[in-house]
Amino acid sequence: MARRRFLAVVLIVLLSVPGLGARGLVLAATPEELEARLKALQDQVDTLRRQLEETRAQRAAPPAPTAPAAAASAQPAVAAPVSATERPFGLTDFKIGGYGSTRFEASDLSNLNNTFTFRRFVLSGDATIAGRLRSVVELEFERLTELEVERGAPSEDGRRGFSQSIEGSDKSELSLEQAWAEFAFAEWARFRAGMMLVPLGRFNLNHDDNRWDLPRRSLVDRGVPALPVPAAWSEVGMGLVGDIPTDDWGKFTYQVLVMNGVTLDSSIETFARGSGELEAEVEIQPRRGTANIDLKRDKAGALRLTWSPEPASEIGASVYYGRYTPDVLPSESVWAIGLDGKTMLGPIEIEGQYVLTHYNGIRRVARGFADAVANREFTAGTPLEVAVEFELAGLAETKHGYWADLRYRFFPDFLRDTPLGRPFDNPQFVLTLRGEQVWLNGLVKEIDFSNGLLTSIERENRWVDRVTLGLAYRPVPLFVIQAAVERTWTNQGKSLAAVTNFLPARRTEDTANTFLLGVAFGF
Amino acid sequence: MASDLLSRRRFLTGTGGLAGGLLVLAPAGVAAQEAVFMRAEDAPAALFPDASAVADRRVVATAELRTRIRALLSRPPSLWEAEYRIFTVTRGEHDAGFVVIVEEIGKHRPISFAVAVDGRGHVSDIAVLAYREAYGGEVRERRFLKQYAGKTLSDPLRPYRDVRNISGATLSVEATGRAARKAIAVLKATGDLT
Repeated sequence: MARRRFLAVVLIVLLSVPGLGARGLVLAATPEELEARLKALQDQVDTLRRQLEETRAQRAAPPAPTAPAAAASAQPAVAAPVSATERPFGLTDFKIGGYGSTRFEASDLSNLNNTFTFRRFVLSGDATIAGRLRSVVELEFERLTELEVERGAPSEDGRRGFSQSIEGSDKSELSLEQAWAEFAFAEWARFRAGMMLVPLGRFNLNHDDNRWDLPRRSLVDRGVPALPVPAAWSEVGMGLVGDIPTDDWGKFTYQVLVMNGVTLDSSIETFARGSGELEAEVEIQPRRGTANIDLKRDKAGALRLTWSPEPASEIGASVYYGRYTPDVLPSESVWAIGLDGKTMLGPIEIEGQYVLTHYNGIRRVARGFADAVANREFTAGTPLEVAVEFELAGLAETKHGYWADLRYRFFPDFLRDTPLGRPFDNPQFVLTLRGEQVWLNGLVKEIDFSNGLLTSIERENRWVDRVTLGLAYRPVPLFVIQAAVERTWTNQGKSLAAVTNFLPARRTEDTANTFLLGVAFGF
Repeated sequence: MASDLLSRRRFLTGTGGLAGGLLVLAPAGVAAQEAVFMRAEDAPAALFPDASAVADRRVVATAELRTRIRALLSRPPSLWEAEYRIFTVTRGEHDAGFVVIVEEIGKHRPISFAVAVDGRGHVSDIAVLAYREAYGGEVRERRFLKQYAGKTLSDPLRPYRDVRNISGATLSVEATGRAARKAIAVLKATGDLT
């Protein structure tokens, strides 16, 4: 019964379809009727052909002028979009990009071998989710070539054991540098949330290696960080960013963010000594805030304002303030300010940045630290001697410093018809002179404590200077070959290793001369 | 102390109030990085505000036309359009100039430009019709585009040479220069300019 109903329904549907019904009629038509239908179709084709020819003729010859539409705007280039949601075809695509850099380094430091370094590879993505919605993600592989985790339950002589091993490459890092979403209320007020770069100084925000013409990052941002956390420094938080273009005063921008913020946090390094001792060193130092539940009750804030009087120039001022101690330590704050700018004087480009960071209450933090880790240093017995040491690192009452770049771009005419010039639209050589100084005042050198009480805290004032002369070849904006010589020096007779995080100098090596050759690319 | 400055209550009150205020005050237009900022047919009136009449025509980019354009440019453009939309703008009894719609690749995507050219082959103004890249949208700012006024096909129109660059937008700045030169070359190749 059901089958019969189904067939009846199918038959009704087929008969009701106009095309099929027409086909049935055609099959039943006489030759005269068919001829009449063909003629009608031919007439339609002729009409369409005439319309097509007329359209082509109109395009080939200028039509009669018509009055223009009313002026859309006196300043067309800054007009609001036609529609916030009307976007050209393909705009919803997720755009993938990234950058990478490699460097060769030869130094006169006795502990530093000449070496190739794979600095980093960063994969980035940008998506316009809808008219006012945007998302950006940036994932960094720093010196990371391998990360292998193995777990097992091996059996030996009938007995079941358990194993776990982690294999990785030296000084490697896998880091989520950015992952944020943005809701644009207006061009001057865009709400942003997620993992964001902290807007303190221009370098942290513009840290992509392929943008720079020297193969090493600046001291204040990376090597002897005067920033609370070395660049690229990102934090989890929320805030507002905005651009405010004006007719007569150039363009203003701002970023104001609230975030978990920098926190004294631990990292554990394990050493297997040749003497048979297994040593674990717990290093407590300022690190970027957790992406999990914050270790402290109070949040941090950052504000950056920039003024760009004309497209090639910008002046920026930044401030950061927040608590840097976890709840287990006394509540103390860190504040930092940054001043930076960029401009052009004829063919010379000038860019620089100054950063000052001040940690309040270091002695109180050291006292609290001593109390928190009281009597935690211990040794355990066979089969290995195990020692655990706690170290408070990277704290100074005040860290401040600057970098200043002078750049001159040129390309000799005699090279334009060579492989360095011919294949490219606007190849450039960039001669760069960079001067840098960093001062570390009240740098915590060593603290001693006993039975939970701080017995002594030794501090010192240090400085590090560096001068770099570089020559870069940039065939296109996204690719650069960078050569540079740099001289780094610190207080006479004191080691560079104690104040830098990249020079493994010996105890009395206070000067390093280095040759660098780097390649950076973006895509 | 830090706890006094940014307590949880103050933080929540401040951000909540700010977000609420913005929702109330949010204006209609948002000039994000990616957007269509102007329709091609609106470009002549915007670039020649005192125009009295506009004639609109499309010229198919035939192989022959491309060959002529290529010969006028020092380098090939980053993309070839299927056709060129050319607006002839009249001011009173005289021709004021032309507006040519061209596209050039920024980093990944084409940027659509309307380039205004006077009867002597000088760029008089440029507008960005559509920007499709994630970064570098500053090239649509008036203060950047006005530096192209008066440039000709013989100018390189390249950053650090005769054009002020925008940090972080170098590829889009280069695309703007290529678009301006291509527009003049199109007018010369079609015979609109001698």
